[in-house]
Amino acid sequence: MREKLELYRAYLFLIPGLFFLFLFTYLPIIWASWLSFNRWNLLSPTPKFSGLENFIKLWHHDVFWLVMKNSFFFVTISIFPTMFLALVFAILIDERMKGRVYYIYSLFYPTLIPMAAAAMLWVYIYSPNLGILNILLSKLGLPKLGWLGSSETSLWALIIMTFWKNLGFFMLIYLAGLQNVSRELYEAAYIDGAGWWRRHVAITFPLVGPTSLFVLVVAIILTFRVFDQIHLMTEGGPGNSSNVIVYYIYENGFKFFDWGKASALTTILVMILLTLTLIIFGIFGRRITYTAD
Amino acid sequence: MKGKAFLAVLVIVLLFASTASAKVTLRFFYPVGVAGPLVKVINGMVAKFEKENPGVDVEPVYAGNYNQTMQKVQTALLGGNPPDIAVVEISELYSLLQMNALIPLDNYVEREGGKSFLANYFEGFLGNAYGRDRKIYGIPFQRSTPILYWNKDMFRAAGDKLKAAGLDPNRPPETWGELVEYAKILTIREGSQTKQYGLIIPGGWNDWIFEAFSRQNGSQLLKEDGLTVTFDSPENLEALKLWVKLMQELKVCPVLRPWNITPDDFIGGVTAMMYYSTGGMAKIRKTAKFEWGAAFQPKKKQYGTPVGGGDFHIFKGIPKENQDASWKFAKFMSRPDMAAHWSIESGYVAVNKKSYELPELIDFLKKFPQMTVARDQLKYAYPKMMAVNYQLIRNAMTTNLDAALEGKKTPEEALKDAHKLMVEAIKGS
Repeated sequence: MREKLELYRAYLFLIPGLFFLFLFTYLPIIWASWLSFNRWNLLSPTPKFSGLENFIKLWHHDVFWLVMKNSFFFVTISIFPTMFLALVFAILIDERMKGRVYYIYSLFYPTLIPMAAAAMLWVYIYSPNLGILNILLSKLGLPKLGWLGSSETSLWALIIMTFWKNLGFFMLIYLAGLQNVSRELYEAAYIDGAGWWRRHVAITFPLVGPTSLFVLVVAIILTFRVFDQIHLMTEGGPGNSSNVIVYYIYENGFKFFDWGKASALTTILVMILLTLTLIIFGIFGRRITYTAD
Repeated sequence: MKGKAFLAVLVIVLLFASTASAKVTLRFFYPVGVAGPLVKVINGMVAKFEKENPGVDVEPVYAGNYNQTMQKVQTALLGGNPPDIAVVEISELYSLLQMNALIPLDNYVEREGGKSFLANYFEGFLGNAYGRDRKIYGIPFQRSTPILYWNKDMFRAAGDKLKAAGLDPNRPPETWGELVEYAKILTIREGSQTKQYGLIIPGGWNDWIFEAFSRQNGSQLLKEDGLTVTFDSPENLEALKLWVKLMQELKVCPVLRPWNITPDDFIGGVTAMMYYSTGGMAKIRKTAKFEWGAAFQPKKKQYGTPVGGGDFHIFKGIPKENQDASWKFAKFMSRPDMAAHWSIESGYVAVNKKSYELPELIDFLKKFPQMTVARDQLKYAYPKMMAVNYQLIRNAMTTNLDAALEGKKTPEEALKDAHKLMVEAIKGS
């Protein structure tokens, strides 16, 4: 009886949180997925059921496939270097290397700058003739690049900028994760004669597993949702070469005023993220070594 | 004690509420479509309006570039909270009308004297103000045409070579053929690096400049009905081939130079010529350290250009007194002295003909005759294309032009693909 009461009370406490979660997360998801089966755009201003029309149109549209390709490229290219370097820097800082304060600040400050300001900063860095990057390249005798202005490099330019922006954030999470790894393990390994590299491969990498899982999921979601820098730096151009799914949703919804298609794209994004998260937890969730507490 | 405090607060709140309701507050969305610190200029003009009209407060909202401003307006409309008055890019009018967002201004115009009032404005700028119902929905404000800027010092420096090729170093090119010849000679290379480009046709708004080339070749991109697409005409193909030749084959023009950076390139001596809006001229006038000129865009069959820029529009779904105050504001901003001030500060053409009779503008133009070029080019100007779903159409045009200029599609393919997407966007399928 008493236990039951406890349980009821627990649910009672959850209600406010669930209420807002439902209102601002689940309800829009349901609403958007319903809208994705409707034709609703500038020329037909009231939603009208149209079955799979929006999805079929997307399927036959080259830009949709280009956008999907760009999104997956962005995610795969940016995540692993970010994760790896974040861990390496976290280890170096954790081991109290010389000048660590300097490293913490210089790696973490990009995270603190608002994205809009950072994007404008990089617009100047990437400026074809007056930007510091091209000046450096030509000092080194290398050809200048078009960066944001060329479809060959625009996506790369955004990936580099995003890498710079996110590295500190993930480093901080890893730094926190490292605090959970027991010092005794390192000392034991040290006494057994294990070198620096061996110690980290055998102890650190497996034991930050839970952190890595968290970082991986967060990084995938964060990178799939890149928007601000694209909106400010390239508007998806030139020729959609830096257009990714969230920006494409925005374009369809707020630029082309095609809410049906925007909803269909949103539904697709939710599905992709849901599937990826489930797969990651399915594969890695069980194999991760948790520290013995 | 508590009761008294509450009463006092109530009185104060009511007092504020009543003074607030006596005053009309206008939310005014506007874009800045060219390089240069124009936000300050707008704020200054707004302050002057408020001083002359104590009953009206204007809250200017800088909404970004033209695309972003249109998106903000659309979002505000969808949220049921439209601005009172806004400037958007002129091609967007049909989309706003499709959304049933604007009030016709015919009654206001009638009250000001009808035709004689409209006669104050340059005719070329009124072409984009009418809806398909022939009612007037816009009052011209920041209006421009693209023009050709040229660096006289660079022309002089290449004088001997130009003369050897039979070209006059003291004037800009006047035809497409000359444009290519000048650009070739004015391009300076050092090894694999280009030290100086002959010409920049910037990206971003290349659809607008392309429309000019199309007009120069006696064609257009979309007919005046807003329905008949002519994007893949042979004349347009010839224009696009010329661009591809300049950028890909001769490499005398960089590919897709960003719109806002191009004036800096001209000022920084990166290029000898550029196509740009006349709206960017103030920045060049204030910062260029060399002698420069402005000229009509070179012709093919004829001189020709679309007009560009943005008009004032007044919105539905706001109180009548706000609409009246918005009209006052639009009228104020385009009256002779204000239009002249705006033109001097920005480089845009003063939309009011009477501005050019004011001594301040006359004196100014004596010092900077370059400023008259865009006005005089209005003789050869056409209304800019207008269509419902313009954002989608513009996207189809720029994406495909970009692809052709980067060499990813042949000019034929690019025109055909854009044409198809434009037809679809207009049909709404």
